[in-house]
Amino acid sequence: MLVGLVASAALALTACGGNSSGAKGESAGPGAKAAQGGTLQVLANAAFSHLDPARGFDGGVNNFYRLIYRTLTTQGAAPGADGTKIVPDLATDTGKPSDGGKTWTFTLKDGLFFETGAPITSADVKWGVSRAWDPEIGIGSPYAKQLIAAPASYQGPYKSGDLPTIVTPDAKTIVFHLKKPYADFGSVVAQNTFTPVPKGQGAGNSLDSKPIASGPYKVSENKPGASLKVVRNDKWDKKTDDVRTANPDAFQWTFGLDPATIDERMIAGQGTDADAIAGTIQAASVARIQTPQLKERTMSGLGGCTTYMGLNSTKKPLDNVKVRQAINLAVNKQTVRDAVGGSTLAEIATSIQPPTIAGRVDYDPYPSPDHKGDVDGARKLLTEAGFANGFTMTLDTRAQPKMQAMAVAIQQALEPLKITVKINTIDTATYYEVIGTTSQQHDAAITGWCPDWPSGATFLPPLFDGRNITPKGNSNLAQLNDPGVNAKIDEIAKLTDVKAANAAYGELDKQIMALAPVVPLLYEKVLMLVGSNIGGAYLHDGFSGGIDLVSVGLKDSSK
Amino acid sequence: MTTSPTLAEVEEVVPSSAPPTSGRRILTAVTRDKGALACLVFLAIVVLMAVAAPLITKLSGWGPYQFDSAAINSDLGGVPHGSLGGISGSHWFGVEPQNGRDLFARIVYGARVSITISLSATLLTGILGVVLGMLAGFYRGWVDQVISRLMDFLMAFPALIFMIAILSSLPSGNRPVLLVVVISAFGWPYLARVIRGQTMTLANREFVEAARASGAKDSQVVFREILPNLRGSIVVMTTLAIPGYIGTEAGLSFLGVGVSPPTASWGQMISSSVSWYSVDPMFFAIPGLFLFLTVLSLTVLGDKIRTLIDQGEAA
Repeated sequence: MLVGLVASAALALTACGGNSSGAKGESAGPGAKAAQGGTLQVLANAAFSHLDPARGFDGGVNNFYRLIYRTLTTQGAAPGADGTKIVPDLATDTGKPSDGGKTWTFTLKDGLFFETGAPITSADVKWGVSRAWDPEIGIGSPYAKQLIAAPASYQGPYKSGDLPTIVTPDAKTIVFHLKKPYADFGSVVAQNTFTPVPKGQGAGNSLDSKPIASGPYKVSENKPGASLKVVRNDKWDKKTDDVRTANPDAFQWTFGLDPATIDERMIAGQGTDADAIAGTIQAASVARIQTPQLKERTMSGLGGCTTYMGLNSTKKPLDNVKVRQAINLAVNKQTVRDAVGGSTLAEIATSIQPPTIAGRVDYDPYPSPDHKGDVDGARKLLTEAGFANGFTMTLDTRAQPKMQAMAVAIQQALEPLKITVKINTIDTATYYEVIGTTSQQHDAAITGWCPDWPSGATFLPPLFDGRNITPKGNSNLAQLNDPGVNAKIDEIAKLTDVKAANAAYGELDKQIMALAPVVPLLYEKVLMLVGSNIGGAYLHDGFSGGIDLVSVGLKDSSK
Repeated sequence: MTTSPTLAEVEEVVPSSAPPTSGRRILTAVTRDKGALACLVFLAIVVLMAVAAPLITKLSGWGPYQFDSAAINSDLGGVPHGSLGGISGSHWFGVEPQNGRDLFARIVYGARVSITISLSATLLTGILGVVLGMLAGFYRGWVDQVISRLMDFLMAFPALIFMIAILSSLPSGNRPVLLVVVISAFGWPYLARVIRGQTMTLANREFVEAARASGAKDSQVVFREILPNLRGSIVVMTTLAIPGYIGTEAGLSFLGVGVSPPTASWGQMISSSVSWYSVDPMFFAIPGLFLFLTVLSLTVLGDKIRTLIDQGEAA
């Protein structure tokens, strides 16, 4: 039912990070209480993909968007499961369904303004949402387009005008008419596409260069690819916002820094770097942050994504389920984990859904001692399948040291089975396009997937629904089209109880893994070093393990 | 050093008439010089490593692609256990962080890549340079114009940038062959220019005219009169080119456009060791030292040979 956008997975492995060890008590370290004021520095390698909320869609920008944009609902601002709970933001509640869940009504709060001083009305929300249908702009979160009914020819407000299926009876009320009942629509309206945009504005690339803020900060200086500064938006009223603490007076991003440079600066923590946060450290730096002083500044947690190897079930001999099972048994996940930086940077994956997903069941369908691979068991399966003498397969991987190291580890693990793995290195920029094109993908590919919100609904159907296989932009890498799995997906989609649906997805995970269309490799972790003056920091489950930007601040803002 | 027919002709035509530049004289002089001898011994070791790589790794017990999870600390990002990058009885040069591959085995196999690529590139540039240089110098006229303009064009080109662009846009086929072709394509003009100039001078000398007057064909003049006299320059230029090509191959591998993993290459090892320099300096030091010593040895040796040949010609 839901087709996850390739982009969401594309960015998954670069900008990810999710579960949290959270705040470490109130006294010291990054979890200590933050004061108001000061400028918080962020050191980053890559700039944000987009500042336009209808375009950007990955863990990194989703987190950033909460500083400058507000949506009808949003995720909580707390460590652990509270962070992924959906709470009202612009709306007074998480929506009132009617017509059996096919129509959803939201009411806006009072006292909401854009940075321009103009009031935020339901018409602005509608304008923002309808931008998602624009073929050039709506390249971000796909859920609005997938769920809300719209004329087939509709191409966004700039080309096609008004969208009749979103109704605004008055300035405070907005009503969405869906294609079919959807129980969890309250979570969907927390997606970036539900950001209000002043009616009539935001055409073309204008929001990418100059966003119109509805949140507590506004962009004051934007040098694409080099730096970005946001300062307080005085039109934002704290009384209307229960989620954002908005501690610092400003955030300053510096982009284009070498990862090794970032690590050095964070370890040294000199000058304004004491007020800085950054992304996950490199594997080579892990051994250097083991001193008590640096450990106190370290934060670690699961990224909320799964890194896996898809096995193309349309290619011989991978069309044989026993061969796929044998590969699942034989892969030495220890060496794969060491390839990305060892136990501090990843956990070994056994199921498709990562531990941050609600209703996920912890199980290991293809066990081996210490996850080092069961070569004998695999050989037995291969012999049964008639491939005792092995075969040759091609593994697609991105031209990136970490991904190549993983590919080499898999190559090495399959060697005793006489399976010759040819590594096909594809340029980083075109990688997801190539493996998402069914005519171009090879036998296997290493990739990852992050949930758009922590529910199986955004994980299993996009990856394994056989009816979603498309010639281009395909995310069902295994090209698995199993009637049993498809039927189960339809059955779960009909459930109105979100909890029961999540539990059913946990069972579906097992049903899929019995067919072995993928080899779950790792749940990658985030491991961050923050400046000594950082307070109020915790890793947010909903933003792939990034530090929740709306809660973080400086302990002493006068420094 | 270059084409085998060349050397064969040389031996045949000038059996003992040119003792000052004979191979034996150079060899004796090199073995008397301690520095040059050390270089020669080191190069012999590297070549031996490259040739006998499978045997040597059988002896050391670890293959170049074999992982050793026990040798690295997974909890510390995959840094090798023990001091000096995990140097121990079973891993003579320590192991690679994050996967525990044996550095000794990878150095040995990396020597194969460096030596094969640089020697093949030298051979190819040697043939191209000598043939095209002699054609231009001997026939002059429009042949010279075409070849010289092509050489000017290639030499003025930002070669490194172009190599990176070509190699990263080409699909991953047979990488070593691609490397040889790309390196050679930009390398031959340097030799060809020198050869062209010398051919021009030689073609006007009396012995060439004498040969012509006694009815020698073009091919006889080229192979019997001119080529033997170019021998010294060819030997010196090619000897000095090898270290350059080794460096270029390592540089391209360092930049990620050289041989593709998991093939071991010194440049690639240095590239992946960059982020580990503070935690595991040996990972950087060992391939760096081998690359440095190989290039240094070849350069010193090439210089020595040039001096000897120059002395021989002066004598």
